[in-house]
Amino acid sequence: MLELRSVSKRFSGIVAVDDVSFTARPGEITGYLGPNGSGKSTTMKMITGLIQPTSGKILFEGQPIERDLIAYKQRMGYVPEEPHLYPHLSGLEYLVMVGQLRNLPPKPTAERIDGMLRLLSLHGDRHSPISNYSKGMRQKVLLTAALLHDPDLILLDEPFSGLDVATGLVLRSLIQELAARGKVVLFSSHELETVERVCSHVVILHRGKMVADDSIARLRTLMSLPTLEEIFSQLAVEQDTTAISRQIADLIRA
Amino acid sequence: MTNVQFRVLYREFLFRMIDLDMLSAQGSTSELFGKFASLLLFFSSTLAIGAFFLDTRRIPPERLLLINWRTEHFLIATTMLVVGLFAVLSWDSTFPDRRDVLVLAPLPIRARTLFLAKVAALAAALGITVGALNVGTGITWPMIFMPVGTGFPGLLRCYAAYWIAMFAAGSFIFCSLLVVQGLAAQLPRRRFLRLSAFLQMAGFCLLLCVYFLQPSLATPKALAAAQNHRLLACLPSYWFWGLFHSINRSAPGQPAIAFLMRRAWTAVAVAALGAGAAFLLSYFRTLRKIVEEPDIVPAARSLDWSPRFGNSLDTAVVLFSVRTLLRSRQHRVILAFYLGIGFALVIFLMNALLQEQERLGTSTGVLSHQVNVPLLASTAVMMSAWIVGIRIVFAMPLELRANWVFRVTAVRGTLAYLAASRRPLFVLAVAPVWVGSAALLFSIWPWRAVLQHLVVLGLWGTILAYLCLHGFQKIPFTCSYLPGKSPLTFVFLGVAAFLNLLIGGANLERRALDSPATYAAMVAVLAIAAICAGWRTMARAKSEESEVQFEESLTPTILVLGLNRDGVVPM
Repeated sequence: MLELRSVSKRFSGIVAVDDVSFTARPGEITGYLGPNGSGKSTTMKMITGLIQPTSGKILFEGQPIERDLIAYKQRMGYVPEEPHLYPHLSGLEYLVMVGQLRNLPPKPTAERIDGMLRLLSLHGDRHSPISNYSKGMRQKVLLTAALLHDPDLILLDEPFSGLDVATGLVLRSLIQELAARGKVVLFSSHELETVERVCSHVVILHRGKMVADDSIARLRTLMSLPTLEEIFSQLAVEQDTTAISRQIADLIRA
Repeated sequence: MTNVQFRVLYREFLFRMIDLDMLSAQGSTSELFGKFASLLLFFSSTLAIGAFFLDTRRIPPERLLLINWRTEHFLIATTMLVVGLFAVLSWDSTFPDRRDVLVLAPLPIRARTLFLAKVAALAAALGITVGALNVGTGITWPMIFMPVGTGFPGLLRCYAAYWIAMFAAGSFIFCSLLVVQGLAAQLPRRRFLRLSAFLQMAGFCLLLCVYFLQPSLATPKALAAAQNHRLLACLPSYWFWGLFHSINRSAPGQPAIAFLMRRAWTAVAVAALGAGAAFLLSYFRTLRKIVEEPDIVPAARSLDWSPRFGNSLDTAVVLFSVRTLLRSRQHRVILAFYLGIGFALVIFLMNALLQEQERLGTSTGVLSHQVNVPLLASTAVMMSAWIVGIRIVFAMPLELRANWVFRVTAVRGTLAYLAASRRPLFVLAVAPVWVGSAALLFSIWPWRAVLQHLVVLGLWGTILAYLCLHGFQKIPFTCSYLPGKSPLTFVFLGVAAFLNLLIGGANLERRALDSPATYAAMVAVLAIAAICAGWRTMARAKSEESEVQFEESLTPTILVLGLNRDGVVPM
């Protein structure tokens, strides 16, 4: 179980994440939503241990993650928002390197990489340098790297970005399958339709503050709104979207 | 509209002559530009001061003529070398590349504007380099070089001759390298990219070899000798030296000068026309080829070479370092710069050996087949250049934002990472030089002496590697880089002192090879030094505050002392 208790993060006095608390349980897919700049990726980076919270605690299975960060990282898989990879390495070389960095046994890891690349239709391009890869191909490399060590906690920051329809569908089923096998899945996305289909539970962030933490069904009932999109618009979208689009159209014509 | 576009593109291209990918978030291009310019200014000012110490009234005319001619040639040859090195270093920025085309093509910019901005940026960069390098020497030395008794008009003529010769020499070398690159760019794109790396290295080596190995022909006797005419016709620095004298009218009665001057103008014209043609070809042909290049180039199955270098972490870090160095052109070029310095010093040392052979009248190769100080020192110089060069490129990142993978997968302690990050220096610097030296020396020297020298060389490499790694708490190529931390101007003074130390050490070793007791003492001292250096580096890594660094930080200029008024507790 992943638990955030009153986690806040400030950058030079600017509050990026403010007093966020929620729990992501095994077998459950937790959707982490919010507009751009609401603090989603900052929270993800704090959960991965890339940055430290200014205050509050992050616990995994009841233990603060910083108590044994190494053991925690061994059990965590992470797909970052931006596909930053080493462009001079081939997809295969990158994944082998990740396996070595994670201290995984070479032979089973090689077989696992080979199998995953085949299933994700990347096997034919495994020797090409990553600099040649499309965004979707890079995303597949990131996904393989995140799952290579069979993690118990899976953090997915915009995992559908750039993926083709078929791989997107595979990923959607995969997330459900992994959760069904008892993994903790925290999943951040702007694709509300996908989140609504996949997640059992959502946390909505707005300007760094948590504005909702509940199951989608309960939110629908509580707010008397039929879709997650409308719930999200109510909680986290302040602007009149139609008026803004009209203003933009007027502005470019002027 | 076009003027604004031209100005914006010109500025962008000029600043991109320096590789921005090297800079960290806190780094600034202007600072890096300033650093390079100040290095050239320092060099120019140091040489310029020399003119004040030359008392022309007390030196006999024949000797003054020799000093003048050699200095003139040295300044021209140095300008050509520096401009050539600059052209090699900015190789990737000289023609519009894929990024330029993909970013700028969707915008309403004429290809002509893009090309003119590129040409203007190149011309400005060439002008800044030649100007900064000669700003001091170009003021003081013409006062010495002007023909006697020509007065103020003679001085003005000498200034004109100096600057025309320098800019002509710089333009010739710069345009020549552009021609080579432009011609290679006509090959299929993938072949060109591969060949490009070799051409850069070849250009680097050629420039250094010509600079250090060209004979001194700047004397009236050598200039008049018929057997030197062929050599003079092949050495571009002498053409521009001839051009200088032709404009300055300072070498009357030397028929070779007119020939050299003609050759200089012809060379500049041919190189400029060639560069123009290369740009036109790029304008009409290469841009289209870049656009038509497929996004994903199918790769052949690469060599599955993945030997083990210790545990899996060590192997991962070493392989990552090897692959990065082999595949990153900018890192290779920076390494080549340091290797070039080492190579130049080796040529300098070997030149001394050749001169010694010439003096003794022995045939070529006789002295080199005996254990000699220049070759002993050369192996140590190359070892040092490799270690320092590799250590410096390790500190420069490649795709900085991708380093998150090392942080997220950090499933072992800091010590394991720091130990793994030391290994690539030994694999990439100490081992290749040691093996290369062994291969060379076993083919020319007695095996016993070679074995003895290899022990010394190995220990020297180990000491230097550990000294270079002291405080290096980074995985190679993963930490941001802040330029300007080391004062470059002092590096040159350091190199001179270091070379003296190495030659002294080689002399000592030469004597020690004949005396087992001295040799044993020398090896013992080096072994103790190696152990101490290793222990010191590892102790630093084991200290409590040590952690793997991914972001370089500057030491604050203002230190907070934490002083408070008596009795006031800081909040």
